[in-house]
Order: sequence, then C-alpha cells, then structure tokens
Amino acid sequence: MIEFKINDQPVEAQAGWTVLDTARQYGIHIPTLCHHEAVEPSGNCRLCVVELRDGDWSKVVISCMYPVQDGLQVYTDSDRVKNVRRWILEMLLSECPASSEIQRLAQEYGVEQTRFAIHDPEEDCILCGLCVRTCKEVVGVSAISMVGRGVHKVIGTPYMMPSDACVACGSCVTVCPTGAMRRRLDLVRGEPKTRMAHSAV
Amino acid sequence: MSDQNKRVGVFLCECGRRIAPLLDLAGLRQKLQDQDAAATVAIEPFPCLPPGMASMKKIIQDNDINRVVVAGCEARIMLKKLERELAEVGLEQGQIDMVNLRDHVAQVHDLAPEEMAAKGYKLIKAAVAGLEALESTPKELVEWNGPVVILGGGIATYAAAQELVRREIDCIIAVVTDDWEDEIRMLHEHYPGERHYYDRLENIMREVDQSPYVRRITVGNLSKLIGRTGNYQLTFEDMGSELPRVYQAGAVIACLDGQMLNQGTDFGHDGVNVICHTEAEEMIWTRGVPEGKVLFWLNDYEANQSEFVHLSARAAWAMGRYMRDHSPNTQVTIMYNSKMPIPLSAGERKLGRQLGITWVPYDGALRPTVQQGYLTYCDPESHIEQEMPWDKLILSPRRSLGQEVTKVAQVMGLDVREGEFLEQKHAKVRPEMQGREETFLAGSARYPCDLHEALRQGRRAAAKTAELVLKAKAGELYAPRMVCVVDTSKCIGCGLCKEICDCGGIEPVEGHGGGIPRHVDPLVCTGGGTCAAACPYHALTLQNNTLAQREARVAALARDLAPGEAIAFGCAWGGLAAADNAGVKGLKYSPGTYMLGVSCIGQIDPSVMARALLEGSPGVLLIGCPPEECHHSYGVDHTWSRVNMIRKLLEFSGMDRRRVALAHSDLNQPEEYIKTVESFERLMAELGPIEQTPENLEKLQGIYATVNNPRVRWVIGATMRRPWEDVYPGNQRNALAFDQDLLGILMEEFVRERVTRILQTEKRPMKLPELAGAIKEEPELVRESLHEMVSEGVIGRLHKDGVAYYVLRT
Repeated sequence: MIEFKINDQPVEAQAGWTVLDTARQYGIHIPTLCHHEAVEPSGNCRLCVVELRDGDWSKVVISCMYPVQDGLQVYTDSDRVKNVRRWILEMLLSECPASSEIQRLAQEYGVEQTRFAIHDPEEDCILCGLCVRTCKEVVGVSAISMVGRGVHKVIGTPYMMPSDACVACGSCVTVCPTGAMRRRLDLVRGEPKTRMAHSAV
Repeated sequence: MSDQNKRVGVFLCECGRRIAPLLDLAGLRQKLQDQDAAATVAIEPFPCLPPGMASMKKIIQDNDINRVVVAGCEARIMLKKLERELAEVGLEQGQIDMVNLRDHVAQVHDLAPEEMAAKGYKLIKAAVAGLEALESTPKELVEWNGPVVILGGGIATYAAAQELVRREIDCIIAVVTDDWEDEIRMLHEHYPGERHYYDRLENIMREVDQSPYVRRITVGNLSKLIGRTGNYQLTFEDMGSELPRVYQAGAVIACLDGQMLNQGTDFGHDGVNVICHTEAEEMIWTRGVPEGKVLFWLNDYEANQSEFVHLSARAAWAMGRYMRDHSPNTQVTIMYNSKMPIPLSAGERKLGRQLGITWVPYDGALRPTVQQGYLTYCDPESHIEQEMPWDKLILSPRRSLGQEVTKVAQVMGLDVREGEFLEQKHAKVRPEMQGREETFLAGSARYPCDLHEALRQGRRAAAKTAELVLKAKAGELYAPRMVCVVDTSKCIGCGLCKEICDCGGIEPVEGHGGGIPRHVDPLVCTGGGTCAAACPYHALTLQNNTLAQREARVAALARDLAPGEAIAFGCAWGGLAAADNAGVKGLKYSPGTYMLGVSCIGQIDPSVMARALLEGSPGVLLIGCPPEECHHSYGVDHTWSRVNMIRKLLEFSGMDRRRVALAHSDLNQPEEYIKTVESFERLMAELGPIEQTPENLEKLQGIYATVNNPRVRWVIGATMRRPWEDVYPGNQRNALAFDQDLLGILMEEFVRERVTRILQTEKRPMKLPELAGAIKEEPELVRESLHEMVSEGVIGRLHKDGVAYYVLRT
C-alpha cells in the first residue's frame, strides 16, 4: 500500500497505479484529452499536468503516466498547474481553433484567445493519437497512424488512401476527444459504395 | 465455477462527471438491490482503471460472481479490456455484458436524475436477464491434425514454404514437376520480365528444397477438400493410374498463378514478329535478344485491362533493359497511353536514359494501328498521326484466371465468378479471423501482380498460418467463444445455413453435402449469427450469445416498459455505434427507445421480435448497417425478410404492420440515427400499446409459434439474399408472385399453430365452430387447416352425434 496526498487529502494506492488513476478513484477531477481508459496512456496532450511539491521545490508532471510513490504531495489545481494548463490550452487553441471541446476547456480556464499564429481556422484535431492507439490496441488493425513529422504531422492512412486494413468499426470516431475524426472517417474507410470493396488499385 | 449457480454482479460506473451527477446512481443501486435483481450491486468511480478493476475483482471473488454487467460506457470500446482483465478472476467472453449508461442515457436525455436511473434500471435488468439465460460453454481446443499443405503449384509456394521452414513447421508442397529448376524455366509464362529476380528466387527454392521440414509431392490437381481448420483432408487427382492420393492437413495454403494469354489478331498478333510478353521471354531464352528495332506497345487500355497496365509497363521495362544490356544493336522503344503514369523510379528513369530506352506516349483517343513494320499512333502533343517503325512488336498479354486454377479454386469452395480474379471483397470483422484470403491465398490468380508481390503474399499467408500452427503446437489454439455451433442431432443437413453464409465457415461433417449434418469451422465463423436465426430447426446456435439470451433480454425489458416506450436493437457496426456516437457528441433526444446491442442485426431471430410483442412491447425497431455494408453475411438483408414476415403476421392479427421496422444507420451520422429513433417513437405514441386482451395475446402467441415453425422458417430462408446475388431481393421478376405464395403459407401455418395451441390448452375434443371462435377466424379457413392436419396425422377427428370433434394427438 502506497500512501500519499492529493490536494492535502491523504490517499492510498497500489504499486502500478498512476497519479491520475488514484485521483479518479477518489473523485478528484483532472482534465484530460488524450487519455482513454481502454488504451495505455501516452502522455501526448499534457493537459493532465499536476504539481508535485517537496518543501520549497516543486515540479509539474503529467498525472496519466506518473507512477504513485509514498509521500508524494500532489496538487491538481494549484496556480502553477492552472498556469501550465492555460499555456497548453492557448497552444491547442492556435492549433485547432475549430474544436468546440477545446474552446469549452479554454473558457473554463479563462483563456479567451491565443497569442500564437493560427495556421488553419478549420482545424479540429489536436494530434493526440488516441484514435491511432485505439485502432491498434482495441481494434487490433492499425489502419491509421501518425503521418509526417513536426508541423506536417497528421492522422492518416498509408498514402492517404482508404485503407484496406480498416474494418469500418468507427472506434476512432467514438474515442476522439475533439470530434475531429468524424470528418476524417470517410478518408480512412472509403466511400460507402466502395467500403466493402477496396480493390487493389 | 459451476454454471448452475448463476450469480450476476452489477457494477455501476460514475465515469467522472459524465454519469454520476446526471443519473441517480445511489437510487439505482438501491432499486436493483431492493428488487433482488443481482447477487451484488456496487458503484465504482472508474471500473475501467486499475483501482476500480482491483476493487471489482475483489467483489467478484468475494461474492462468487460468475456473470458481470458493467453499466458505464460503450461495449464496442471497453468490453475487450474488461474481458482481458476479468479473465484473471475466471470470467470468460460472453459472461460480461455492458450497458451504456453514459451515451445511451445520461448524456443524451434531458431528464431528472431519478428518471435517468429508471431508464438505466430497465436496461440493466435486461442485461442481467440475458446473462442469467447464458449457458456458458467450456473452452474448446481446436484439434490440429497434420502439416501445412501448400498446393496449386504457384511460385508463391516457395516463399510460403520458406517462411514455414524458418519457423520449423512441417509442410507438404504439392507441385507439378519433380525438379524446381524446371519451374524457374517455366516461370515466365506467368511472370514475364522478372528475370532479374531469378537469382534471389533460386536461393529461396534451394533453401526450401534442402530443408528437412518440406516434403515435395508431385500430384495432379486438387479434386476434393473437406474438413475445417486444423483438420483437412485433401484428395488429389493422380496423374498415373494409381488411386487418388489423400493427404491429411492442418492448414491449406493455395498458391495460384494466373494465366497470360496472347492477344488476338485484332492487335496484329502473329506469334512471329508481333508477339506477347511471354513469347518475347521465350525468344530471349531460346534464341537470344533480337537485333534491330524492338517496340513494346502497352496495349492494355485497348485490350480493356487498363488496371494492369503498370504490370505490363514494368515487364516491358525489365525486358527492354535486359535487351539493351545484352545486345548493343537493339533499339528499345516503349509506347504507352499518355493517360498512364510511367511506373519508374527516378533512378530507373536515369538508367533508362543511359541505356537509350525511349518511352513514347500516344493519345489513347485514337487506337494505334499495327502495320507491317510500323505502328500508327497519334502524338498527344502535336495531334499529328505518326508512325513508329519496328522489327519486333511486343504486345502486353491478356491476364486471366486459367482453367486449372479455376478448377482448384472451385474445389476449395472459393467464390469463382466469370471474368473475375479470386480476390474477394469480404467485409471485415475480426482481424485475427482465419477465413480471409490473405491467410490461404497467394499469387497472381488472386489479383494480377508481379513476382515480388506474389512471393510477399506467399510469405504473408505462411506467417499467418504459422501463428496458428505454433499456437496449436503449444496447446493454446482455442476456438473463439462466440461462434456458431451445430447440434448434429437436430440438423437435417438442409444446407440453408451454408447457402446464406458468406464467411464460409459452415461445411458438411463429411462428404460434399446432402442430408448430412453440417458443422462450423470456429476459426472462420465471424459470429454474425444470421445463419442461426435462419435455421428451420434451431439446430444452429450462436454459442454464448444465444437466441434464448436475446429472448430473455427482450422479455425482461418489454415487461418493464412504460406506455410510449419501445425496444430497439442496434448492431455494433451501425445502430449501436451511431447511438454511442450520439452520446459522445452530446446530442439530445427523446428517451422512449431502449437500445439493446447485438453484433449483427441478423442475429435477431423473428422469434425475438415476436417475443418482444408478446411480452408487451408496442413495437420493435431494428437498426442495422446501411444497405450493402453489413459486416456479417448480409445479416441486414436477411433481417428484411424476417421483418417482412412478422409484418404479414401482424396484419393477419389485425395489428398495425409498422410495429416492427427495420432501419439503417451509419455510425458517423448520429443525427440521422436520432431522426430514426424519434420517428419510430412518434409512431409508437400514435399507435399506442397493443391491448393485452386475451384475444390479442392468443394472436401474439400464434405469431410466436408461427415464426418458430420449421416450414415457415424454411420458406423465409428461401427468400434470403445469397452472397452471390447482386441485390436484394434477388430477382424482382418473381418477387411479387413469391410474396403472394408466402402470404398463403404464412396464413396456413398461422391458423394451424393457433389451433394446435388452443387444443393444447383446452385438452379436450373441440368442434369446428368452437375452434374458429376461439381464434376468431373464418370457419372455412379453419376447416381447411383442420382437414389437412387430420390427414397429416397431427390431430385426430372423432364423431359424436354426427358432429366432428378434433383432438390433439400425443
């Protein structure tokens, strides 16, 4: 049994749990985007950051992958954490301004607008890769993946053509935190008429 | 854990803020406990995370729970994880069910928390009833008997064998010649222009030839293949006068190469100076590279095979390159349709320029004309008709399946269609499913390809097969739990199931068919269950997900429904997924529809629909995939036939036909799904409940009995769409006549079933007017049925005082 504190509240956890697991068990809310219970955490969106304090010293870590330890002092909603989240949301807001989920979260944290350049006002994907992990871990087909590097990174299929591996189950749409997968689904599974007949063109 | 003692545990999920404050979970738990609905009920903040999982496992062990309902989110996403985790405490697939409280209740309705809980309660009770009806089957090992047999004689044989050899798996390769070097010599007949690959291919062939794991047999074509994965029996035609040769095999891989035919005289083909790729290869082999002007014309567009032009272009390029390398006096020109891209890499283009191979485009609008020594073509730039001189004109081949390959494919039970290659466009369900052609089919007969691709397919098929073999060797190859099984004591061998099944998992126990019971290959079955719902004798069941379970679910739900509420079934690929996505999007809609999930709408036996009406549901809505998109053997088309039947029976009973309806839903269109549901709800409100009068109940009982009547099920089975039919409902020419016949048969059986039931309950001899009165039908109609039943010996007739009395025979 591992004992530590979240927001000064004593909590008990077991080895192998993460800070986020423990917080959720105790009903302590930590916002997340790329976290889904059905797949392994990947720490992509950074929204679940929490502050770990040790005397005068403190650090900010992502709770979804941080393993529990005895004596941790976790703060889920401290000023420092809120500040980091505002930064993250401001950046997300510039990356995918069209997502209503991001807008809602930004508003919750008092982020009205972003100081960063908006490249595509229609963009709604935060590139958290949850759809990719679900396709691989839950469905088991890996029809979609991250394509490209850096600023060119997108979610897609090989050659951006409807994928033969796709089983058209729609799991990616269901798990997507921003609803971005919805308009991308047809690019993955193909048009209705050819969906069942991907030919080897 | 004994099956007799069915103990269901219900776990209610708070899901952060997404269920708990919106839905009164404490009240729901209280109600479930008060009603004694389950052995234990617990609320977990997140059952899906490690802390919740640990607590759930503890409760399951402490309370001896052997069935679990998790009421939280989408089964489509979360069920696999739960199954994986809860396997540690002895729960198997099928023993865990999920109710989507979040996306089907809490997130989508504007209701008070208590009302939300009331809806959740009914859904959970239905799930519990389904699990209580589950007869869980023990784990079944797949028997593995024999080596892997690679047949068909295609070149991919060697790539497949190499892959198996490297994994130390025994295999038999059935080939045409004794010597593998002969095969290389003949290879250009199937894969022209691949000479550069032969060294590597020889290495593969040598490795296979020298391996102790490979047994090489020289036999004729496959003449018979029976059995199922793990246990096949193959019979080959013998080329000599000996008896047919029979082999036992665990798995079969077919490596089949397509045929290259020469072009006809319409392209000027004469076999001497105007030749095709295969002949050109032959010429290089035997007589060396020709000197002078060699012209390749990629005439695939003109030969109506433009989809394979890249293959011809690659072959022409490879042959041209070889010619230039070996004969400086040969000029190579390749003429291509200006519509097509040249399939060369930058390096190859550079090499081509160095070698002086010219690529000349022509305008495809004008068909090039072959003349002696010249090819007339239209230049796409200048639109001037030009003439290209040649000494040898080499045409693209015509690609086809070939007769022998067709025969083998037919024996293997593949769907062979005129003018098509063997690759099938099956809907995909489980990625690990074995019935897919990439596991057992490789080579250019599957779809024209180059040698490299054929070998790759062979390796892939072998790798997938090897996974199975290694599992079987380790004693870990279990049959999936939710697949169809046949009760051979009930099966009469009518073959209806095999006819309508597209996954190809159903085979006769022995021989080719006839009145022999069928069995199912569990590694091929997709678990859709439309075959089980079609079986006239209920001999076919979807194990661990049975008809009895679905009936129990609808019965439990229908009994609890309030006025204005109705039952809906949604398939995991259509309706259910759309409902999930509506919840994820946070769309709101009216709460009167209770969604029950199934993996395919085709699982819904008409008996389930009848049961729902009988138990008090005002209607049943079945929401499947969009037309032509069913993932399981046309389940949605088969459901159309079933719904149609129930509607006819409803009309006979004086009830509204619209009470049972089939709908289609795309998972990515939750808004459309909501329109479907709300429209059905409005209809239900308009029609109101079916009054529970004894008369109506008698009729509903009659409907229930009729849809389980073997004759009716047989006739309905006959209308169902076969995999080879292009559209539903097959040939419209006879549809109306058939429908009228069906109406007659349904009426007949409807009356007979009801008369039987009345005689059963009354347990006394009854007169015609009494019987007709009891079921409120015309005496004439009843008389006819009675006469027939008497002559068939189902009921007996006695006479008392000159009046006929009818009595049930026992």
